[in-house]
Amino acid sequence: MIEPAVAVNNLTKIFPIPFRRTKLVAVRDLSLEVAPGQVYGLLGPNGSGKSTTLKIILGLVSPTAGRTKIFGRDSREVGSREAVGFLPENPYFYKYLTGAETLRFYGKLCGLGGRELKTRTAEMLQLVGLQDARDRRLGGYSKGMLQRIGLAQALIQEPKLVVLDEPTAGVDPAGSREIRDLILDLKGRGITVLLSSHLLAQVQEICDRVGILAHGILVREGKVQDLLSIENQTELILEDATPETLAQIAALLDKSQTRLIGQRHPQTTLERLFLEATARLPEKE
Amino acid sequence: MSRSGHRPFSLSRIGALSGNTFTELVRLKVFYFLLIFALLLIGNSLFMARLSFQQEFQVLKDVSLGAMSIFTSILAIVATAQLLPRDVEDRTIYTILAKPVPRYEYLIGKLGGVLLLLAFSVLAMTALFFAVLFLREHMLIAATMRETTGMRPEQIQEAVERLKASAFNAGLVPGIVIIFLKASLLAALTLFISTFATSNIFTVVVMVFIYFIGHLQSTAREYWLQEHGGGVLVKIFVAFVALIFPDLQLFNLVDDIVAGTAIPMALFAKTAVLGIVYTSVYLFFAWVSFHGKEL
Repeated sequence: MIEPAVAVNNLTKIFPIPFRRTKLVAVRDLSLEVAPGQVYGLLGPNGSGKSTTLKIILGLVSPTAGRTKIFGRDSREVGSREAVGFLPENPYFYKYLTGAETLRFYGKLCGLGGRELKTRTAEMLQLVGLQDARDRRLGGYSKGMLQRIGLAQALIQEPKLVVLDEPTAGVDPAGSREIRDLILDLKGRGITVLLSSHLLAQVQEICDRVGILAHGILVREGKVQDLLSIENQTELILEDATPETLAQIAALLDKSQTRLIGQRHPQTTLERLFLEATARLPEKE
Repeated sequence: MSRSGHRPFSLSRIGALSGNTFTELVRLKVFYFLLIFALLLIGNSLFMARLSFQQEFQVLKDVSLGAMSIFTSILAIVATAQLLPRDVEDRTIYTILAKPVPRYEYLIGKLGGVLLLLAFSVLAMTALFFAVLFLREHMLIAATMRETTGMRPEQIQEAVERLKASAFNAGLVPGIVIIFLKASLLAALTLFISTFATSNIFTVVVMVFIYFIGHLQSTAREYWLQEHGGGVLVKIFVAFVALIFPDLQLFNLVDDIVAGTAIPMALFAKTAVLGIVYTSVYLFFAWVSFHGKEL
């Protein structure tokens, strides 16, 4: 049996509220598995327990009950994080370091050194398109650039699992699209991605599987196509159909007692429309 | 990555964290305080023309060592107080601890960076201080040679020897090492407090109180023991207070150095060991407070 990249078993996290007798249940009896190579999306509104779950998986917060494992190793073991890269929500790195210095710092923390570190740093800067900004301090980076350097630091030691907490939060549609492409690139390389988001359209585009959290409870879980397909409905998309053809189809449907629920022109997404209209401008130097 | 690849203690990770902390503090331009120190020394030298050379050297040492002690203490507290809260606030700590970095290495790395900064600061201040001392010594020797023209060579030699003896004395370097160790223990204690403090200001204010209590407690202790005798319970209480509030007066060897008294090797070793023990104990306390902290 293949070891899951992430295994969460009966996880519960309760935060005591200081000076009050009440407690906050952030995650309640959550179980899920992420298979190696999969892109898994953890969805839910703000405060639904997504970030807490990710933090427990990364050993930053301890569970009240249950356990989490990364490639079979308990999350509480520091060594389990050797195979993991993490990008927190809205990260601020050390702004006095340059892009290259930042990657070298995180590389050293992962045990890289010498020529290997130098090569990985250059590769990662190229992967996220920041070669030209490598010697600029992070204090002068835009939000999108910070997110990209964050992704580069998460990938510096070639992890088998990448955990992304709201990777496109606060990033403009173009930057968001770049991050989406990077995630798909990671998937192509066989890297497992676990991400949290509340941007449903984006998750739908890139995730193989999703789990929906509400008030700390996993309310839906499964493959994206399975969850989204409406079993008793079929969509036909026709090109250059004349009114006569449509009338014939409608008559045929009428004869077979099939109800036509709607007829419309397919629409592009707002994201695509925005990108086409604004066309990418070169990054300001 | 192999399962057995992770080392529970890595000097290279600690080195990376310390180097990064040091770079952070240097790029925050904390070394500007050295300019104030230099101005203090130059100003001090200008206003001492009317003193005898013994008095001049005494004042120079008193001012320089006192300023070194205060500057390194302030630097240790202020530089350390913001390290942890800022990493938490900026979420940088998540990216570090999500790597295979044990929390004790993170703390050791942070403290290491501050100690590196303190060491550089003490070295720079010592260099400035010795340079001024050396210059004044040579200027005064030249003046003595001029004033003693016509005297017997033995008398001149004796005057010069006396002057040299009051400039550099054997207690200077050990005294400076103790100043560094005092700043180190203050940094470790600040790090401990910042693991549970609610803000930087809270940490700094608490440390200012501890600093004053630390300097005053030996006087209070002597008074208390004189008034109430020295029963076992009292001694335990006094030892407990000394652990929570370090007896900083023990690290104050400036008066002896200024007076020209050589610091006995035993006293130096005892004070140095005490400084290292205090620093280690506070670092351990910081780990106890931080290792289970929910981030």
